[in-house]
Amino acid sequence: MNQVISFIRQPVVVALVLIVALLYLGQLLSPGFASGGQILRLLIVAALLGIVAAGQNVVILGGREGIDLSVGGIVSLSAIIAGNVMNGADSGILPAIAACLAAGAFFGLLNGLGVTLLRIPPLVMTLGMLGVLQGLLVVIRMGIPSGQAAPALSRFVTQPLVFGLPGIIWLWIAVGLLMAFMLHRTVFGHRIYAIGSNEHAAYMAGVPVRPMRIALFVISGMFAALAGLCLLGYSGSSFANVGEQYTLTSIIAVVFGGTSLAGGKGGYTGTMAGAVLLVILQGILTTVNIDESGRQMVFGATLLLLMTFYGRGRAMRV
Amino acid sequence: MSKLKLSGVSKAYGATLALRRGDLEVMAGEVHVLMGSNGSGKSTLCKIIAGSVRPDAGRILIDDTPATITGPRSARAQGIGIFYQELSLAAHRSVEENICLAALPVRAGLFVDRVSLKERAARYIALFDGVSGEGFAADALVGNLRPDQRQLVEIMKALASEAPLLIFDEPTSALDRAQVERFFEILGNLKRRGRGIIFISHRMDEIKAIGDRVTIIRDGETITTLNLDETDAATVIRLMVGGAGDMPASQSSVPAAVDIAAESALTVRNLSGAGFRDVSFEVGRGEILGFGGLHGQGQSALLRAIFGAGAITSGEIRIGSERFDASSPRDAIRRGLAYVSGDRSRDGVISGRPIIENVSPIHYLRDRLMIASPSRLRDRVLPALQSMHTKFASLFDPISALSGGNQQKVIIARWLIDRPDVLLLDDPTKGIDLSAKADLFTLIRQLAAEGLGILLYSSEDAELLGNANRILVFNGGSVSRELTGAERTRYNLYQAAYEAA
Repeated sequence: MNQVISFIRQPVVVALVLIVALLYLGQLLSPGFASGGQILRLLIVAALLGIVAAGQNVVILGGREGIDLSVGGIVSLSAIIAGNVMNGADSGILPAIAACLAAGAFFGLLNGLGVTLLRIPPLVMTLGMLGVLQGLLVVIRMGIPSGQAAPALSRFVTQPLVFGLPGIIWLWIAVGLLMAFMLHRTVFGHRIYAIGSNEHAAYMAGVPVRPMRIALFVISGMFAALAGLCLLGYSGSSFANVGEQYTLTSIIAVVFGGTSLAGGKGGYTGTMAGAVLLVILQGILTTVNIDESGRQMVFGATLLLLMTFYGRGRAMRV
Repeated sequence: MSKLKLSGVSKAYGATLALRRGDLEVMAGEVHVLMGSNGSGKSTLCKIIAGSVRPDAGRILIDDTPATITGPRSARAQGIGIFYQELSLAAHRSVEENICLAALPVRAGLFVDRVSLKERAARYIALFDGVSGEGFAADALVGNLRPDQRQLVEIMKALASEAPLLIFDEPTSALDRAQVERFFEILGNLKRRGRGIIFISHRMDEIKAIGDRVTIIRDGETITTLNLDETDAATVIRLMVGGAGDMPASQSSVPAAVDIAAESALTVRNLSGAGFRDVSFEVGRGEILGFGGLHGQGQSALLRAIFGAGAITSGEIRIGSERFDASSPRDAIRRGLAYVSGDRSRDGVISGRPIIENVSPIHYLRDRLMIASPSRLRDRVLPALQSMHTKFASLFDPISALSGGNQQKVIIARWLIDRPDVLLLDDPTKGIDLSAKADLFTLIRQLAAEGLGILLYSSEDAELLGNANRILVFNGGSVSRELTGAERTRYNLYQAAYEAA
């Protein structure tokens, strides 16, 4: 009996139950909401969010109030870089991937150095970085055209590739497997949990705490950049602050999936379910004609609500 | 005239009796010294007087009138002022504000009266004129002062309470000689004006210099009160140690000496750093070198510094015959050092993670592993845990499910998969049960027999006397005496710990 209860209380299970319930609700509100094509479209959007949330997830797992508020800015920047590098030509895809990942890694590295060497709290460091990135985007857009996605990239994101699923879904599944392997089967993953649970004890056991923390921010920047590239494929061309929403939603997805904001506890499977859940919620809100600002309010309120369930008393403890 | 009288005061924390029967009488116009070893109940007694702990039983008289002390405010209202050993200063406020913090002078019922605050603070600052050192001023921020200057502010703050009864709990630990002398002059003046003063110190010379009478506490009981004029240091120490103190340590199981000349595991020469200075010693392969002395005399700081987790300013460490510049625990582990702290929850336990992940980090580091394969790891982890007689259901249970003793065994087991050359033990048995302690020391001796060099700091004398081949007694950050062979007695340990270095 106890096992049943603890199974039901797992965040992943809670999220899955909620996903089915929300799909049913959506179908009631707008017949066709839960149709196959529509669900596939939702999954594509969820994959974009899920890839950003993978990076957010490792930063939060690393503890010490770890959080990355700059992901939204990196997604936007990456989409712009990708658009300009490939500029509608398939031959530009590989250089674009390289450029995007390098940019993501660079800004992640700056975040990591600020947090470790300059001892700036992650919240402040990454918020400042978000401001820098937003300013940078304005400067870039005034000088150069926004650029077009290559046809192959758009096909990869929107058209069926294998078994009727588009490439981006397969990419997301690969990210999920990679994350599971990294977190649970590599020394690196065990060390993430160790520094998130008790940083000082980890240090005394020889875990290289600072390089680890820098690496986590670099990973986060690279996942955000990867998502930005895919986002360009989804929307065709990059436009102003296309990635802005991902800062808040990636955090919500991670928390929804049962990862503690205090660090050291949680995993990526829950985050994937959390991403799907959020996207369905977003779909329902759109269906009932709630505009972007209204959706932001609902998301903010959702995060606060989640914290009262999962994170209470632990989240802000130092 | 009696200022304060406690009779039959007791206090228990759960099942632990911290104070069994505390008696103390402080007269007006005397400096009354309180003595007792770590955990004797001395600080519990002080906390009861200061109101931060409520006694379970016993009577308290202030000025021959029965009194109840309900809290720190009530103690202050009844004329008791205390100097806190753990500094209680506001770092971002000025010296004068800190001095007057307990009772800020107020104007018009609302505003701080700056002028009278300055006047009042100046009186106490003037007391230490000439010895308070460079940069000490009424408007200096406390956070910018040196440790000794901060301690002076703490003293001034206690004096500013103008309480008829003052408690000073180790007030001189950071002060230099001139500052101590000035402080003792001030205490002498207060005494002549009829104040009662309770004084706690571990320096025998200071106690003789300033004290009138001494009350000795042992195992939670007041043993006796003596006039310091009519007694000597040896008698006081003998009373603190108790009956069997002169007996040498049980020699049956401890090898008397190890031939260091054969092979040295760790050599430390003239090592100084934060909390310790000019320490030199050598520990041989197969030897257990004990660190004794009172709490916080540099033993832990030294062990941490050797392990790369503390500051070293000068001196040299050699592992075997090679020089080692301790820069981080990671380096130290690679070079074959291991460190086990008594403060498990801070230094050891990776809370909320499975037992297996609490054992594996060292193995990953030493074998430069990248992939964590649970099945292969299990084969390495299980023998290490079993050699410690660790009780657990599954390797994948969270470590928090275990008792304190078993958690500590897991932490020690993490060092046993790949044997280190030198084991640093920093009060490793703190807060663990007796059977776990016994298991632990069986293992420690076995490791020594296998050729490890072991440094053991313990706050329990019995552990040192029963296991160490030699004991270095620490006092004020440096080694005050080395005890070998038949010298290893409780009496000698106390004497070296309490005598001025």
